[in-house]
Amino acid sequence: MDQNTKKRVGIFSLTCDEGCSIFLTEIFNKKLLPWLEKMELVYFLSIKDKAEIKDLDVALVEGVVTSERDKEDIENIRANAKILIAMGTCAMTALPSGQRNNFNISQLKEIEGHLEKYNFLPKALALKDAVKVDDEIIGCPIDKNKFIEIFEKYL
Amino acid sequence: MHKCDLDVEINKLSKIEGHADLDIKIRNGELKEVNLKVMENLRFFNQAVKGKAYNAVPQLVSRICGTCSIAHLTGCIEAVEKTLGVKISDQTMILRKLTIYSMMIRDHALHLYFFAMPDLLGIDSLLDVPEAKHDLIHDALAVKEAGNNLSELVAGRAVHAPFEQVGGFSHEIDEKKVPEIIEELKKIRPTVLKLIDIFFDCPWEFRRKTNFVALVTDDFSFLEGRIKSTSGFEIEEKDYMDHLRNVVLPYSQASGFEFEGKEYMVGSLARLNLNKENLHKNTRKDTAKYLERFPSENVYDNNLAQAIEILHSIDHSVELLENTSFHKEDPAKPEKLTGEGVGVIEAPRGTLYYWLGIEEGKISHFNLVIPTAQNLVNMKKDVEQIVSGFCATEIGKEDLEKNIKFEVSKLIRAYDPCMSCASHFLRVNWV
Repeated sequence: MDQNTKKRVGIFSLTCDEGCSIFLTEIFNKKLLPWLEKMELVYFLSIKDKAEIKDLDVALVEGVVTSERDKEDIENIRANAKILIAMGTCAMTALPSGQRNNFNISQLKEIEGHLEKYNFLPKALALKDAVKVDDEIIGCPIDKNKFIEIFEKYL
Repeated sequence: MHKCDLDVEINKLSKIEGHADLDIKIRNGELKEVNLKVMENLRFFNQAVKGKAYNAVPQLVSRICGTCSIAHLTGCIEAVEKTLGVKISDQTMILRKLTIYSMMIRDHALHLYFFAMPDLLGIDSLLDVPEAKHDLIHDALAVKEAGNNLSELVAGRAVHAPFEQVGGFSHEIDEKKVPEIIEELKKIRPTVLKLIDIFFDCPWEFRRKTNFVALVTDDFSFLEGRIKSTSGFEIEEKDYMDHLRNVVLPYSQASGFEFEGKEYMVGSLARLNLNKENLHKNTRKDTAKYLERFPSENVYDNNLAQAIEILHSIDHSVELLENTSFHKEDPAKPEKLTGEGVGVIEAPRGTLYYWLGIEEGKISHFNLVIPTAQNLVNMKKDVEQIVSGFCATEIGKEDLEKNIKFEVSKLIRAYDPCMSCASHFLRVNWV
């Protein structure tokens, strides 16, 4: 398959521990080389600097939308991707990385100054509460077999 | 001196863990300011753990960091066990060492092959490596996979390992799989020796007088020992915090630390500088030539030190797997449910400190000190020295901005910083 017909794939981290993309690099141990026959990794800051958020066929996104900056990022990714896949429990449900959503009043009081100073949103959002999501992969981190099954649908 | 004003901005440093930006201001040909900005949004673990059950907290703090989740899990478990008087068995200690080794193998391999190697080869990504060097991609994936498979065997998974718990491991090792794991570890040994050789031959050099701090363990297992510094301190794990001072970094969602009032460096280089004689005997035998380089003040030797630690992790794991007959055990129980205690381990990037207060089985106090946060002040001073060097000799020359960006990114990468971790810091005001 030549370069022009390869799927353009981007991997993005919003607010989270990046455990899903780290686990994805472990799935890559066996799958990266066969997948590279069909895809080009155009955005993955963990392994490359030259980054292009443009004409993506598939965007894999981990993490929660917790700040204005996250919101701008996810809107930009959405606007430039045909298929957007929420990767892992944070992206699907806003937990655990959005654990502040479940804080009680005294916990919230401790963090309110920080939330304001760094332009946090009132609540941390799952991706689908910020943009349209086309598919989801469950797990904390992502379930390996589920990832392979869903990702390969779009390659 | 040329008149030169320059703002160098790096937005989202790549090939590190997590998000960080760097701003450098040069005014009148002189360095004015370096701001290293940790841009990770806080996830407020300091607040979230309060009131949680002691045996649920390790899996919660594992979520601080994807790549070194096993370090947070293990450090927190150790703190819970010391707080509540949980006496673990010899087998649990062996399983815990194997779990830590599995993380070191795959975490260091990710850093060395995917983050550091591209700069050495003059390419953006390992995936762009020319056909003639494609073996490096295969090497990278094979070494990572061996670590990943060892994690899976012992701890259930490489990220957020489900089997490791307070008092022991919830699942037995599948004895049938042990021989194939041993074989896989032995098979990647020559690959790792090749990696060591690559970073031994690396011409990069950056030196600045500093202090190195690490937990020094008898068998280089990253778990139990005494904290030492190259400046001559020797401290018990529980007293570590008394020697640290929190330093605020402007514009950053993280803060740094000083040891005895000065910047310092933790991580593989510190461990090799302070404890190379306790590496596994097979590692020492096959790396004698490389070990002569330590102690080293060259920050880039952190890469060489990580590569040697991969070999040690393989060699000690093989010995433990070959000489242990694993059996089913119930987890050790706490003697009490109230108290306070400290757990210190060496994470891939350096000394990781957990302090817990527990009341009636629930977390009442919590604090942690993260390796990358300890390195931030040292890293910033190194960047200042590099940029000052450019200002002294390179002002007015072509590609100044590009060259500063390259050198500074390369140096920061040698620290293997983890910004996901660094954004969790000292917070004592909620007691």
